[in-house]
Amino acid sequence: MKKLLIVDDSNIIRSKIARCLGKYGLEIAGMASNGQEALAQFKATRCDLVTMDLTMPHMDGIECIRALREIDAHVRILVVSALADKATAILALKEGAQGFLCKPFTESDLTEAIGELISDDDND
Amino acid sequence: MFHLELGKYRNIVLSIALFIFFDLAVLVLNFVISSQISNDALMINLAGRQRMLSQRITKTALQVEYRIRDGKPFGNELTEFKKASTVFDQTLTAFSQGGRTTSGTGDEVNLAAIEDPTAQGILREARDIWTPLITAAKSLTDNADIMQASQLARLMEAANLQLLKLMNDLTTRVEQIASDKATMLRTVQVTGITLATINFIIILFHFIGHLRRSDRELEHAHKETADILRTTQEGLFLLDPELKIGSQHSTALNSILGVATLAGADFIDILRARVDQKTLKTAREYLDLLLKHDVKEKLVTSVNPLNRVEMLLDQGPGKPETRFLQFAFNRVKEKGKITHLLVTVSDITRRVLLEQELKATEDRARGQLGMLMEIIQIDPFALHQFLRAAADGLQNINGLLRDQSEPVTGRSGLLRDQSEPVTGRSSLVNALFRQAHRIKGDAAALGMSSLADAFHQLEDLLSELREQPSLSGEDFLPVTVQVKGLFEQIETIENAVIRISQVRGVATVEAPRPQHDPNTAKLPFVQRWRDFANQIATRHGNTVEISYKGIDVATLPEGLSSAVNTIINQFIRNAIVHGIESSDARKALGKPEAGRLSIYISQNDDGSVELSFRDDGRGISVQRIRDTAIAKGRLTAEEATAWDNRRIVGLIFEPGISSHAAVDADAGRGAGLDAVAELVVRFGGNVRIGTTPNEYCHFRVHLAPRAIVEGPAAT
Repeated sequence: MKKLLIVDDSNIIRSKIARCLGKYGLEIAGMASNGQEALAQFKATRCDLVTMDLTMPHMDGIECIRALREIDAHVRILVVSALADKATAILALKEGAQGFLCKPFTESDLTEAIGELISDDDND
Repeated sequence: MFHLELGKYRNIVLSIALFIFFDLAVLVLNFVISSQISNDALMINLAGRQRMLSQRITKTALQVEYRIRDGKPFGNELTEFKKASTVFDQTLTAFSQGGRTTSGTGDEVNLAAIEDPTAQGILREARDIWTPLITAAKSLTDNADIMQASQLARLMEAANLQLLKLMNDLTTRVEQIASDKATMLRTVQVTGITLATINFIIILFHFIGHLRRSDRELEHAHKETADILRTTQEGLFLLDPELKIGSQHSTALNSILGVATLAGADFIDILRARVDQKTLKTAREYLDLLLKHDVKEKLVTSVNPLNRVEMLLDQGPGKPETRFLQFAFNRVKEKGKITHLLVTVSDITRRVLLEQELKATEDRARGQLGMLMEIIQIDPFALHQFLRAAADGLQNINGLLRDQSEPVTGRSGLLRDQSEPVTGRSSLVNALFRQAHRIKGDAAALGMSSLADAFHQLEDLLSELREQPSLSGEDFLPVTVQVKGLFEQIETIENAVIRISQVRGVATVEAPRPQHDPNTAKLPFVQRWRDFANQIATRHGNTVEISYKGIDVATLPEGLSSAVNTIINQFIRNAIVHGIESSDARKALGKPEAGRLSIYISQNDDGSVELSFRDDGRGISVQRIRDTAIAKGRLTAEEATAWDNRRIVGLIFEPGISSHAAVDADAGRGAGLDAVAELVVRFGGNVRIGTTPNEYCHFRVHLAPRAIVEGPAAT
């Protein structure tokens, strides 16, 4: 069972992702509301997958992606963010995120995006 | 692998290989046969020498005999005899078996045995003759006697001609062999060269044909590509990793981007002049992501910043125009490496504008629906008052805006450029703000939130102007636009009010139906209405039936029950006199012979009373009322034309207006319904009328509780 870390400053979004992907069969190994928390939890849990918001306090998503990739170059990251700022999305992909999901999203959007992320991982 | 890599060049390579093979074969044969001919030349030479030697041996043998016979000492005759015999023998052996011998020049040469059977036959014959001679020759020494010398000389004489002939035959035969070989060499050369030439011609024709076909296909493909690029409506081009536009692109690209020369142009430079800095920066990042990062195409497409981009394009000299363009990028890969980006550009301006228009329409529709819901909640009179005041207020605002602009341009002074001191215009802003604020307050008080929001936006615009240190006429443009929109909104509401009124006027608005109770139909007041109706009907030659459902009117407060009774009586009279047709006419219309009068009365929780009266007669004749109003001087002809039907119908509640031509005891004096109106006004209620010609006339009366408490006297 793959382990998932959910990073988002919105409690509602975190819960929604956890509920949806818990049903999908992933182990919710941790939830963080900012980049620093995310790093601490990632070091402790060594998750396979991360859903990452971009706009967060303390350490934003881009910085966090960079730091996560330094710790584990193989971690699969799905950016879950509003697509208002495409420049940030492009930056996230350049930094090594492998998926992008635009808010607001439905449960099927989320499972489809995470499914693609996992299948890419299996193909690698 | 080599075979596969030859590809389309396989045939030409094979043909050239064949050509080389022919050439090499000819060369090798040429070399071999030439070598043989060279050897044969030596043989011819040596065979010729054998002829000469056979004569010399005979001659020297005779000379030796003479010397001995004459008793003279030998010169070099014997030596010469020996040498000639030895060379002859060696050469004969070399011819028949192969081996070394001495050439004409005295050099040692190696001869291969002659393979030709004829020559071998000659050699065998010569050997047979020569063997006894050489044996005798070897025994001849310096001390030989005359007997030996004579015997040898006789042998030589006897064999001389035979040997000469045989050596001559040998020479001829060797010459013949050499000649045959020369002929063969020529044949080989001619054949080889002919084959090579044929091969060359085949190659030539094959490849000229192939080249022609290739050229035709290439030309066709080129033409197809050119046609596609010329006729496609979209801009198509390739971008190299340096972001330079390729040499081939669709013709439409020039017009879409408004650039005459694009081949080799820098794509970023083209964007720079047409989009804002932020979009340009994002576009660069995006192209970098496409070219240098292994991100999935689908994913990368979703973050394309040029998917819908607004561009300021030059559509001709001095004609910059804002267009919406869509750029789509596809990676072109070769052996897994990205070599180019295929870019498709579409002008989606029309689509975007349609979308914007659709959205605006949807917003408007949503807003209008909300507004409609608000309007129907508002007291009609208050709404009317408000709309008038709002329209006046907007006129004031418009007047203020116009006044401040006229002195400068005389037309649209808001466009003037020079700034004025803040004081003049700031007081204008304040005046405008007060007007807007007042109307907004009124709208909010009435619950017209969408209109209040619109005035709030006007306030926001004016607040922004208040903050500016200096103001030019142009700064007021958004205010003018907003005011124009508000005018339209007020007009929309007025139109909606009219439409709602029309709907209310024509629709059958049923009062809440009370529970059916058969006993109520037998109540005394109902019976009184029946008697009253029958009396009038009898006078007018028709018949009616009354049906009643509802409360016991007697249970209402006295003033109210009296008012209800009066109103019903007036409606009964009005219906029988004006509405219900004669029995014959009703039969002709397919209606029941007796006219039907349906009455419902109910009381709401707040104590108000709903009264519904409906007859199935001829309905109200609007034209007759219109004519009566003109005839009575109530309306001028122009007013009568300008008024809508609903307003005309409303006149039946005014004193002196009746749709009935004759004056009699029951109707026609224009009195009756005006009494109903008076009662309704006293009770603060309202009346609604619904009618359809030849079908029905329906009055619905609402009597409000306020008046009930006050308890006005009934008429």
